[in-house]
Formats: sequence, C-alpha cells, structure tokens
Amino acid sequence: MKRIWQHPEVKSERRYWRSLGEYSNTPEFTEKVGREFDPSIGLESAEERENSRRDFMKIMGGIAAVAGLASCRRPQQKILPFTKHVEWIVPGKSLLYATVMPRPYGSTPMVAVTHEGRPTHLQGNPLHPTNGGLDIFAQASVLDLYSEARVKKVVGKGAPTSWSKFERELRGWWEHSWSKNGGEGLALLLSPSTSPTRAGLLTEFAKTYPKAAVYSYAPVSRANELNAVKALFGEGVSLLPNYDKAKVVFSLDADFLGVDSTTEFHTKSFMKNRGPEKGTDGMSRLYVLENRYTLTGGISDHRKPIAASLIPAAAAVLAQEVAKLTKDSALAQAAAPLAQGLSDNLRQWIAVAAADLFEDKDKDGKVLGSNLGKSIVVAGSGQSEAVHALVLAINDSLKAFGAVIDTVTVPVSKSGRIEQLTADLTAKKVKQLFILADTDPVYDAVGFADAAKASEAKIVTLALRANQTAKHSHWILPAAHYLEAWDDVRSAEGVYSVVQPMIQPLFDGASVNDMLLALLGRKHPGPARAKAVEPSKDPAAPVPAPVFEVDPAYVAVKDSFTKTAGAWDEEKWNHVLRDGFLPKTYYPKASVSLNRGAVAGLVAKAPKLSAPTEQALEIVLAPDASVFDGRYIDNPWLQEAPDPITKLTWDNAAWLSPRTFKRLGLKTDGDFIEVKVGDKTLKIAAIACPGHAHDSVTIPLGYGQKVTTYVGKGTGFNAYPLRSAVTDYIISGATVAKVEGNYELAITQETYTMEARSQVREATLETFKNDEHFASHQGMDSHIPPEMSIYKGRIGVKSEENPNGFDYENLPQWGMVIDLSKCLGCSACIVACQSENNIAVVGKDQVRKGRVMQWIRMDRYFATPDNVDSDPTLEDLDNPEMVSQPVSCQQCESAPCEAVCPVNATVHTEDGLNAMAYNRCIGTRYCANNCPYTARRFNYFDYNKRNPLIETKVLGLKTNNVYAGPLGEKKPQEMEQLQKNPNVTVRMRGVIEKCTYCVQRLEEAKINQRRIARDDSSKLLVKSESLKVACQASCAADAIVFGNLAEKDGPVAKMKEHPRNYQVLKYLGTRPRTSYLARIRNVNPMMAKLELEKDRTVPTGTSSSMERSF
Amino acid sequence: MGNFFPRWTNWVPLKIAVCLGFVLVGVTVGASYYFTPKYTRVGYEPTQPVAFSHKQHVGELGLDCRYCHSYVEQSSHSNVPTNQTCYNCHGPDKGQVKKDSPKLAQVREANITGKPIEWVKVHKAPDYVYFNHSVHVNRGVSCVSCHGKINEMEVVKHAEPQSMGWCLDCHRQPEKNLRPLDQITNLNYKPEQLNRDAFYQGLADKGAKFEDLAKTVLNGKAVEKLPTDLNALVALATDTYGPTVTQQEVGSQLKHNWRIHAPEDCTTCHR
Repeated sequence: MKRIWQHPEVKSERRYWRSLGEYSNTPEFTEKVGREFDPSIGLESAEERENSRRDFMKIMGGIAAVAGLASCRRPQQKILPFTKHVEWIVPGKSLLYATVMPRPYGSTPMVAVTHEGRPTHLQGNPLHPTNGGLDIFAQASVLDLYSEARVKKVVGKGAPTSWSKFERELRGWWEHSWSKNGGEGLALLLSPSTSPTRAGLLTEFAKTYPKAAVYSYAPVSRANELNAVKALFGEGVSLLPNYDKAKVVFSLDADFLGVDSTTEFHTKSFMKNRGPEKGTDGMSRLYVLENRYTLTGGISDHRKPIAASLIPAAAAVLAQEVAKLTKDSALAQAAAPLAQGLSDNLRQWIAVAAADLFEDKDKDGKVLGSNLGKSIVVAGSGQSEAVHALVLAINDSLKAFGAVIDTVTVPVSKSGRIEQLTADLTAKKVKQLFILADTDPVYDAVGFADAAKASEAKIVTLALRANQTAKHSHWILPAAHYLEAWDDVRSAEGVYSVVQPMIQPLFDGASVNDMLLALLGRKHPGPARAKAVEPSKDPAAPVPAPVFEVDPAYVAVKDSFTKTAGAWDEEKWNHVLRDGFLPKTYYPKASVSLNRGAVAGLVAKAPKLSAPTEQALEIVLAPDASVFDGRYIDNPWLQEAPDPITKLTWDNAAWLSPRTFKRLGLKTDGDFIEVKVGDKTLKIAAIACPGHAHDSVTIPLGYGQKVTTYVGKGTGFNAYPLRSAVTDYIISGATVAKVEGNYELAITQETYTMEARSQVREATLETFKNDEHFASHQGMDSHIPPEMSIYKGRIGVKSEENPNGFDYENLPQWGMVIDLSKCLGCSACIVACQSENNIAVVGKDQVRKGRVMQWIRMDRYFATPDNVDSDPTLEDLDNPEMVSQPVSCQQCESAPCEAVCPVNATVHTEDGLNAMAYNRCIGTRYCANNCPYTARRFNYFDYNKRNPLIETKVLGLKTNNVYAGPLGEKKPQEMEQLQKNPNVTVRMRGVIEKCTYCVQRLEEAKINQRRIARDDSSKLLVKSESLKVACQASCAADAIVFGNLAEKDGPVAKMKEHPRNYQVLKYLGTRPRTSYLARIRNVNPMMAKLELEKDRTVPTGTSSSMERSF
Repeated sequence: MGNFFPRWTNWVPLKIAVCLGFVLVGVTVGASYYFTPKYTRVGYEPTQPVAFSHKQHVGELGLDCRYCHSYVEQSSHSNVPTNQTCYNCHGPDKGQVKKDSPKLAQVREANITGKPIEWVKVHKAPDYVYFNHSVHVNRGVSCVSCHGKINEMEVVKHAEPQSMGWCLDCHRQPEKNLRPLDQITNLNYKPEQLNRDAFYQGLADKGAKFEDLAKTVLNGKAVEKLPTDLNALVALATDTYGPTVTQQEVGSQLKHNWRIHAPEDCTTCHR
C-alpha cells in the first residue's frame, strides 16, 4: 500500500536563519532557495549564454581534433632515486615530524606531514601535553611556505643582490662603527617570542653591543593585560587560566576562544566541560559582554551586546557586585570611579551573573554550593590596563588564583616599545635598524613610516612576505619560514619544544636566530655554505657533491636545549625531536599574591571613554579572523575562508547593528559609509550584523594593504590609520555617515542553503535533564515512521534476510559524530580539509557566484523567536543566539546522489562511503541537485591550471583569467603545487567533488592494518585510533569524533548511542553516516526573571504540533 | 530524356554499404586491439641508462627482489634502489665487484656528484590511480603476477597489460594468484612444488580447523563426515585436486583463511 506522507510545518518557538535575507524572506533569497548552483549574479542573459556556448563548442571542437592527432605517443617518464639514502624517507609514504609553530605568547604544537621532503599538511600533535589542535592561522601557515608573496632574493638599495654583498655591508658597519662604539646606533625590532635560543642570543647581543637598542612590537598585542599583571603581581609572572576546572566564566569583551586566544589549549580545556553525556552531568556556564558577535559569544550561555567603551563600567559594576558578595570593600572602593553609565537593566544582569560567580543556586534560589575558586573572569586584550586590573582584583576576590588560575614564573625579557623606536628614529639616534619582526610596521604602526622616512637610518628588513616595510627598506632579506629553520620555543604553559626544519630554505632565507648569530659574528648570513674542496686536476672528472658545515643555528638550539634540560643528553634530544616536546618543563608555580593597593591607581589612570551616541559613535578595531593583523593577506586559503560571524570572504567591512545600519540610511550590505575620527577619514563598506551593539562600529584590521601579490590585491579597507596610538583598539567620538556607492562583497551565507530547513537542535541543560532524548524527537523527527526510506540500498547489518547488508565483521564501517555543544565555528576544519584534499581556491568573483569549493560549509545560524504571524522586528535582531554547524557530505547509506548519476561516478563502497570517482564524472551535476545537504561542489573552471585570482587582457578587454579560456594566462601555480597532497587527485574542470571522509587516509589505515595482519586474519579490524581525518585532527574543541562503527566499543560507536545524537533531515530516510549531538545551553534560571531576558526564548526542546499525519 | 545514371550505378549504394561495413568492423577490431593497453603497453622495453640485467642479478645470482626494492613491503611504491645499494657490491671501496667496468661508469659518477641516474619508467599507472604494493605482497600476491618473469629479462619490459579490467579480473578472483607468503618473491614458484601435508599443517598451525579447511576443499559439496585430522584432509584434497597441489587449491584456502577480500570499490584505487 502506498503511504502518502505529508510533513507539516512544525511550529517551534525558535527560528534559525543564516542571513538577513533568509530572515525576512526577501524575494532575492526565495529565488535562490532550492537552486543548487546560483546563477543569478553577474552572468549574461540566457540568449548570450547560448551563443557563447555554441561558439565555444565550435572552437574547442576544432582544437580537440587537431590536438588529438598530435598526441599519439606516451611521454617517457624518468625515475630519479636518491643517490645516498635519506634518513627516514620511504618513497611513497608520508613522513611525520613533531614540530611547533612559534606564536607571540607561546606555541602551537603540531605534526607536519611531509611527502618526499615537502611539508604538505599540518595537524595537532596528540602527544604534546598542551595540544589543542590547530587554529585557522596555524592550519593555513603551510601555504605561506609556498607563497608567491615570499621575498625570494636579497635586495640591496633597490636592486637584486646577494647575501655576500650584505655580509660585506655588515662587516663594514662592524668595522667602522659598532666595534668602536659598542653598537651605538644599532637597533633591532623584534616580535614577542618565547624562544629560549633567541633570549640567549639576545643576552649575548646585549653584551657584545651594550649600546644597541632592542624593541619589541606586535600590532595586536596583549600589552595592556601584561602591564596590569606586572603592576599587580610584579615582574616575571604569567597567568594560566584552567578553563577545564572552571564552573562559571565571565568574559568582558574577551574572545578567548577566538582571535584573543593565546593557545588553542584553552579551547580544548574549556570544551571539556561543555558536552554533557547525560542530563545529570554538569557543565560550565559562560557569560559574555561584548560589542560584536565573536566565537566566544557564539558558544556562550548568556550574552549581551554592549558598546566596548562601556566595558570598563561593566567591569566596575561586576567588581562592585562581586565585592558585595565577598564582602571585599577595598575592591568596591577601587571600582567606584568607573562604575557609571550602565542602565539599571544591565546592572541587574551583571548582578545575577556575579551571584553565579559567587555561588551555585537552583531556580528557587536555594544555595547548592560555593563557586569560589571555580569561576574565572577574563577581559579582552583591547581593553585598558584599568579593566585588566579590575578583572585581576575580581578574580582574587573570587579566590581564583591558585585554584582555577595558575600563577607561574616566566623569564623576563626587556625591550623597548615601538613608540620609543619611532621617537628614536625621529631623533636620528638610530643609524642601522634591523626589522626582524614578523609584522609590517610601516603599514600597521602609527607614525613609523614618517619617522623612518625622516631618519637617516639604514633599514634592514628580514621579511617572509614582500610587504610595505620591505619596500621602504635599504636591504630586504628573505626570511626563513618556521618550517625551514631551527628554533625552539616554550608554550604558554612553559613546555619546551624544538622547531625543526622540514625542508631546506626555498629562497635561501634566514631565520631571526640566523640574523642574531650573524650580528654576533657566529654565522655567515644567508644559506649554508659548502666546505671548500680541492679542485680536481683532471678537468673531465665529475664535480663532487657539496658537503655542508654544521648550521650554527642548530648548535645554538642544542645549546639552549642543554640549558633547559640541565645537561646534554642525546637520547632526550632525540625524544624531543620525535615527540615534539621536553617533558616536565612547565613554568614553575609562583607563590605571589596580588598587590591590591595598586588596583585603584591603575583604575584612576583609565582612559576616558564615553558611551557611544548617535552623533559620536565608537570604533572598535579587532584582529580579523582571516588575515589576523594583516600578515596573512596573501594567503588565499585564509582569504577565502568565510569570517565565522559575517561569512564575508576576501574583504573586511564595517560591522554595524541592523538598527544603526538602518538609521544611517543604508540599504544593502556593502553600502559605503564614511568614518571620521578627528581629522582622519575612512570610506568603507558596511555590513549589518545581528547581535552587534548599537552605535558601535567594528572594523577588522589587516586589509587594504598597498603591497601585496595578486592574492591580497585590492582586498578590503585599511583601518590602521584611524589609530593615533598603537594601543588604540577602542576609539570613541567618531562620526559615521552614509556616502554614495556600494562595494561588492562576497558573502557566503546564502550560498548552498538547505532550503531554509534549519538543521540545528538545541535545548537547555534543564530540558536535557528532564528529557534526555529530546533531540531525537524534535522538529520533523517527531512524526516520522521508523526507518522509512524512499531510496533502496544496502541498509543495515548483513543477515539472511538482507544478504547485501554491510559486512560489519570484516570491513570497517566509517562514521562521524559532531558535537554542536563544543563546535565554536572557528573554521579551522575548513582550511584543514582544503590543505589535505587539494581543494582549489576560486577567488572573490567566483565566490560571489556561489561557486566556493570548500567541502566543509560552516553554517552559522542565528536564532530568534518564531512569531509566524508577525513580521520580524529590529528588536529581534538585537541579540539573537548563535549556533554554528559544520556541514559536509553526510555519507548517506542510501544516498540520493547515487541514484541519479548516469555514469556511476558516485557509488557506494562496502565500508559505507559515498565514493566519488573523479575520472568517471562527466559533470551533469544531477547529484548536486539531488543532494538535500547541498554538500557537493562543481569545478566550473580549471582552477588549478588557470589562476582564478588574476585578470588578463583578451583582445583588449579585461576579464578574469578563468573566462579567458585558452587565451588566458595558463601559468600553473608552481609554488602552490608543492603543497598538494600526492595521495589525492587534483580535480579538473567539469567534475563534481565533495567530502569523502579523507578516503586516502582511510585506505591507508586499512592497508596498514592488512600489512600488519599478513596471514593472521584475527587482526584485520581497523581500530578507530589508528587514524584521524583532517578536520578531526585540527579541531581544537574535540567536537569531531570519527572512526570505525564496526568496532563495538569504539569511540564513534559509543557516540552514536549518545542521547543527544540526531541525524540531519532524518525524515528523508537517507541514513547519513554523519550525525550531530544537539547543542546544550546551560542557562541560569535566575536570568529568566530579568527584564533584559524577557524576549529571549529558551529552547525547551519540544515542538507544539506533533500530530502524526500519515 | 535518357538515363543519367548507367545501370551499374544501381549497385553502388549497396557496394558502399558493404565496404563501409567491412571498414567499420575493421576499425572496431583494430581499435579494440591496437588501442588497448594489451597492445600499447605489453612489450614496452625502453633502454635504460645503465644496462642493469635482472636476469643476471635475480635469475643467475639469486638476489631477492627486496634487496633492492627494499620498501615494497612497507610502502605504496616499490622503490628504485639508491646508488648506495649498487655500491654495496660494486663500490671500489666496498665489494669491488667489477669496480672498473665501463658499464658502471654512470654509477660511479653519480656516487661522486650526488646526481641521480635517470632510470626510464616502465610501469606507469595514471595519476588518478593509487596502487599500493605493500598490501599486495603482504597478502599473497607475488611480484610475478603483475610484472612477469623479471628474473628472465635482460632488459625489463612490460609483461602484463595492467589495465583496469586486468586489475579487476584478479580482484574478482584473487584465488587465481594467491600463494604462501614465503613464496612471494620466488618468481619460479609453481603450486605443484608445494607439499600438501606441509601446506595444510601450516594452515592448521595458524589456527585453522581441519573441518573448515575441508569445507573449502569441498566447495559446497556435501559429505557424510568432515575430516578431523590431517591425513583425512590430505586424502580428501588428493581426491578433489589430484596428486599434485593446484593453484585453485592453494588460492581458495588462502583466500578463505586469510579472509582476503579484494575490494572492487572505486575508492580502492581512485581518490
């Protein structure tokens, strides 16, 4: 009997949406819904399209006929074995090295995957005690190694020259001045670093050049926070919050899980308490006050948008409220001068949060226990020293130090600030300036460019990327990437690691250590030199292979290892190289106490920030999620990775709240505004961001650079000139007005929509307690018949009734579970996937056409009350809740795509994968049209052969290179090619591609297992821990669990039994292998009673209409 | 008005049709032979820069394949040896075998300059094919199955078509090529050389039950009582396969006991 099954609109209390267009159901949006590939933007009319297609076919037909005749012979290929065996290298196998990426305040431990000496992919180092996966920047840094933007030659006085010429110049400086005057006039500009080798060399440097000056600079720094810590704890103390031990965390404008983080380990430890297994499990609670949506705000339990200039007031109010509870009158007094300007509602909100920081109460107000020593308050790096001082005092009052925040002793490094350098340059005190920092001070430091121009200093820049500073230097020296040179580093926690070179410097680059050694006369600057050999008398004799001297930088690193380990120990050293760290090297705990007396002093020095008004808005400058402070502008992966909040690619824009957006008379995203701060103006595209504070403008930094390659050319707007000091992150008193014009932004939030069917599920911890399995009967799942599928296929376990079922016993069955309670939406997985699977970058123009290729799509949903009868109001957009959900191919067991492929290019494998045979695909795109998860991507052009990021001229007309076809520039991206994973096909034009669970890794794991088993069939089971897929290995939050379902007690099989487990679009019967764990919010019951929280809908996990209708 | 076309033209269309038919058949037959790997690849025998003779080294001197192709059991690639491997025997400061032979001039030069010898690739899989040597040689497929009798080749030549259909032939019926693990690099191996008692005893030692082994021998045939000891099993096998061990016998036993499951999914080779 045929069952007619209609699924009714299930009314729920909340509505999830990705873009404002989707929210208000604009005609533009509804037009797009249901179209897999959006043809609406920027294409010619149907007739034109038809004509050009015919012309194209004519020409290509001719070319193909001629070309076919010419290629009859198979080209001869050569095999070049090594002449001498290279240690560890097995041709055809990837070789993994444990190394670390040095970061300004610590390090990112990682494993570098190399193929025949080429690093191709980076992933977290599971052995490292502070491993937290990789963030998006670390993940993408491997591409910087092969970037076209790299400085490739030594340039002296504007002309290409050589390292030996530079060495001569260096010697001249030494002989004529430094040797006589103790280095007077010599200055170094460095980035913050935790490298013991560098610290040792700098000490030596200070001895050799007692009069030389050393400055340290980072455009986005934690200087305010560190100064506050120094003032209150004394020098050489660092704070390490242990988020895994915290029950309540309060963030004041701190994106400590996003761009403000000092280590990804924080994400890992914070997330330990965020995925409850059962309803009775506790979880931590996070409060966030911030002016714009950040990743931290997105994962929070309670969040309020307030202007960044009000954060000091909020901190003071919080201090007072905490002081009231802890009876800490000194704190209340110290905070009093700042505690003004907040509305009563907000004060109440903070008071409730403060009560929660103090003690745990149930909804009737009964005290369950103290939270002292279990709560942490953090403040953003952009906030003033006063705010940080207050926060430290609050933490002290809450007894956090020693309990949830460790105080440790760290080495002290003394260096000047960039303001001093600028002053010294202007005063002509500097004769030779060595810029060894990895930033671009001419671009991002206030007044530096003018000072450098005015001074007579010879500027030597060691630069990885040809940036603006390099352009203004007398000497430009190629820098070595961290994957090319020896170094060492300590993590934020102190764990000692060695940075190993994976490859010889590609462009003869030198590291900072190399430069310091050169200045100390211990190394020739530049590449390693071969030992001299006597020339043979016989001219016909073969030239012998060069033998190199031992790298002095290597020796220096070994020396500092010796110092750290206590003594030289070859075995220990080898262990450090193998595992990536020296055990038991945490910074020692410091027994220091907070100097409460100094708090009031710092508070008194707080900069005067006034709350924004309609006339005088505030500007907040924040590091960008793609280019950070601007250093990654030439990294195409990062440029194309959508911003986690706005989903904007390839540009930055001014973020405004929808209300402010409307008030300024702006109509669509990309409309221009003019920002005026004093006498400085900036014309910038604006974008409406739900959840943003009103009359506040957030501008991500790092864009609008003048010196870039084709990647960063013409992207975004430069907000650095708005600053008048390098620590200006919050600027008040700006005027903002609409100006004519619209800028084309490439926003992906309406690309690949799933027909507005929102796929996230969430509930409060309370609901989870009462109804553990809420996720499995939410939404449409409430009224579907069991296991009904319209697709026939191999479903379920092999049995007599189902002889075609999966052979669970003999074959691995792959599956994945993603915990939405832990997923931040940081998008590191997108880049990890791109790196592992050779996914092409398509460029802004193609992204605008909806052709972005990333296999993982990070859906960012906002949730608002669903009042179906009334139109949405601007109030609803003031503080919607945010949920992120990564979606890639779900590997359906009965996949809709497979049924429609006319050539069997996408078929099912025995281990449950939805396979893609690229060489068989003819590009009908039926599969993509039939995929309910819109997980398939189509190669419209040969992005790997024809660079989509450049423009070419065809017959005098300027056009994007991909459109020029055979007439365009067909320069293969030779450098980028070196990054490609040899185990994955590089796809060509006309082919569909999608996630296959990193099938190359799965096959490798299977083969390895069979190789080990040989003739012992009892060992054939592939254990889940024997492999990690790329997204999983990069995830700092441990939100992704992947493995073999056939392993009965394996991690993924266990997760599939999780009460929060649900399948997206289950009612279609596709039986996806990827499932999700519903998000849980740990809502404070006391909050619900507040005026401010009135409109907020707390998801209860039930749907109002659940009638069965079949 | 007279007839424009003479009478004989009546037959022209038919003649053309018949001719075309022949041409078409000819082209089809030709293409299906000349344009397939069976013709284009088999017999490809390029001249190598150094006249290394597999016949001499393997066939006559008895070097094991893995002496030079040392990573074949670990890696997807079967590596071409480094110069150092050649030098183990031919090095002037080492084994000193033929240390001054002009045929080895390139080897000696490469050792000094560090520039590798450019060997010509004989067996070439397309870029979208990911073949793995290690899983084959560790699970009972010999070198000879894909590369032919290398031990008899003066110059290495392409012996098998190595087309997709050819791969699948074996993946569908792996028992036709499986052999005991200690015979993988024995290019002269023949199943007849095996001792039946020792073969079954070996399987039993690895934990196989005689009843199960017998079931594979019987291949679905019903008997009153399954053999429970070696002698009865060997008798049954002799009954079924004849006096000498056959490939079918070895292959089916190994396939069953090692749980050989040669995958036929696209992802096996295409990623």
